[in-house]
Amino acid sequence: MRPSTVLMLVLSVYVMLYSGLILVVGHKNSGLAAHVPIMQEAVARFGLTDLALSTEARYTRHPAVSDPVAVTMDHPGAIDHFPSTLFWAPPQ
Amino acid sequence: MNTPFFGRLLNILDYALSSLRRNLGKNCTVFILFTLVIFLFASFQLMTGGLTELAQKVLVTAPDITVQQMSAGRQVAIAADAKEKLTGIFGVSKVKERIWGYYFDESNGANYTVIGISLPAGDDAGGSWLGLEEGRLPRPDERGKVVVSRDIRDKLGLGSRRHFSLFRPDLSLASFETVGTFSGTLDILTADVILMSLDDARDLFAIVPGFVTDLLVDAGNPLEVETIAGKINDLLSGVRVITRNRILKTYTVVFGWRSGLGGICLLTALVAFAIFAWDRASGLSREEVREVGILRVLGWQTNDIILLRFFESAVIALLAFFTGYLLAWIHVAGFDGTFLRPILLGWSVLRPSFTFVPQFAFSDMLLIFSISVFPYLCATAVPAWRAAVVRADSVI
Amino acid sequence: MLITLESVDKIYNSGAINEVAALREIDLTVAEGEMVCLQGPSGSGKTTLLSVIGCIFSPTSGRATIGGRRISRLPDHFLTRYRRELIGFIFQNYNMLGHLSVLENITLPLLPLGISPGRREKMADALLDKLAIGHRKHFIADQLSGGELQRAAIARALINNPPIIVADEPTAHLDGKLALEIIDLLAEQKADGRTLILSSHDPAVSGHPRVDRVVALRDGRISSQVSAG
Repeated sequence: MRPSTVLMLVLSVYVMLYSGLILVVGHKNSGLAAHVPIMQEAVARFGLTDLALSTEARYTRHPAVSDPVAVTMDHPGAIDHFPSTLFWAPPQ
Repeated sequence: MNTPFFGRLLNILDYALSSLRRNLGKNCTVFILFTLVIFLFASFQLMTGGLTELAQKVLVTAPDITVQQMSAGRQVAIAADAKEKLTGIFGVSKVKERIWGYYFDESNGANYTVIGISLPAGDDAGGSWLGLEEGRLPRPDERGKVVVSRDIRDKLGLGSRRHFSLFRPDLSLASFETVGTFSGTLDILTADVILMSLDDARDLFAIVPGFVTDLLVDAGNPLEVETIAGKINDLLSGVRVITRNRILKTYTVVFGWRSGLGGICLLTALVAFAIFAWDRASGLSREEVREVGILRVLGWQTNDIILLRFFESAVIALLAFFTGYLLAWIHVAGFDGTFLRPILLGWSVLRPSFTFVPQFAFSDMLLIFSISVFPYLCATAVPAWRAAVVRADSVI
Repeated sequence: MLITLESVDKIYNSGAINEVAALREIDLTVAEGEMVCLQGPSGSGKTTLLSVIGCIFSPTSGRATIGGRRISRLPDHFLTRYRRELIGFIFQNYNMLGHLSVLENITLPLLPLGISPGRREKMADALLDKLAIGHRKHFIADQLSGGELQRAAIARALINNPPIIVADEPTAHLDGKLALEIIDLLAEQKADGRTLILSSHDPAVSGHPRVDRVVALRDGRISSQVSAG
């Protein structure tokens, strides 16, 4: 078999894997979609404003409603020292 | 596909693939490294993308407007009687008081979020609400009744018990009884939450009567939110007014991969890899010069050699991209992002279990493709050209 | 195909301190179907002259044509095309790619033409059988003897059915009997109407009965041309 044919077969396998992935993800998302209304209700009932992702500090737990100086309140030049904020943008 | 054009492409592709197979060790190294870089990048993008998507969907019912009192740049308690002033604004349908704060449990290092809110009479869920896996919400007239998450029950070591105590600022104990447990479905929102009545929260934090941490304002007409927010700013001095739009916007920017230090580190990894790729591709060995010289003598054009080198780079880059991206999806969707979760959760003691799966988007795939495969091909383009201009008479 | 060279010069590193005039004022005509042998000591310009005729590079000055088509002062792209279409080149050190099989080496000139693997193998088989190395088709080139390698090199030179064969010292690394076999094989190409230009130190080659003319070179100039017979 020519090498390019083998490559095409490999790429076909990838196409199948990705197709399977899209189906699985779609199925999983539709399963999760059933939970969204419950979450929305909780947000409305309790006045929630943030995801409970990282509870290291108040500005990682509540980035949406923390005051802007929360990040640097210890010292004006203080930098982030929490691992979770490695991937977070500074307050806008 | 028998035309000379496609025939030429396939023939040169065959030769390129055979060439890659002959240097299997070197090419496998490049493939594995590239796959790893793409895996990390894509995993990060999928996880943060998934969280952003979830936040966008779930927080659409967040309060229209949240009003906080600021003093010296920090949030302080707001007088509850500001509620009357806000209710008087045209367009405001409801104003709710809320106390929320953080309780640090020294015994286990966990930070709890305490939310004190007055639920309307009759709104105790009665055990029928899917947001609770057992029990009910506290009634408005009750004191000392709370709802917590399963994770908090475990951290407090309650087991089958329902009573626990927390310290007030004066180190006296406040006792609570759990009347309900949040469902695991709500973990991403309530994993660290202790829900109690307004009075209980005021008592726990020793907040002066007549003060709360914020006021939640509902506008009757969503289109009026910004206008009402402006009026609130004018009406109350020194307040911070946060609209729902702003909350949602926060979550589109908070996971900016271009902004966070981690994103910069990943970009650095990508640049380092491009330099590595350049280094591997450049510096023609004598064997390579001889091979190209022979091909040129036999009638291969410069374009043919460039195409050959391009195919060699492109095959590795494409296969690494598809593999890395697929593995990233399996990592995030199948294993909840096991490798990156510790970084996203950081030093948190309470770790919500969440299964969030972003929508599959070709635009996301294209983005990763353009910042990984494209630079790699550029890094190998100049070495490819240098190989192609080897003269035919070099083998005479 | 008629080959003509008029006042052809080839100067390496022109203007530099290491300037070398490899060819000077070369006037040469090779008729179609003729077998010409270039003779001369090392450095006399044989390889350079073969490279000009073989479209590997252009002369510095003068005019060179093949079949009426000018090959001097051509851009590399066209030179390469002519080389592919008109010339079969044989080297003294074979210049085979040792990691490829005999079949793969022979069919290398056909890859950029878009010819399918099946057809390429058929074309190669015909030549391999004619040159009596069909049994070595799938052997890696590094595993072949000198004589087998040169036969494979001839097959590679003929795969595109070129009208002109250029051979630079084709018997340099072969002993007497093998060398004669190779020259006989090359001479057989005349019967197919091909023009052959080869270079050799070996008097047995220049004295071969099928050689039509011996051209002697000295210091980049043609010193004599002797027709055989």
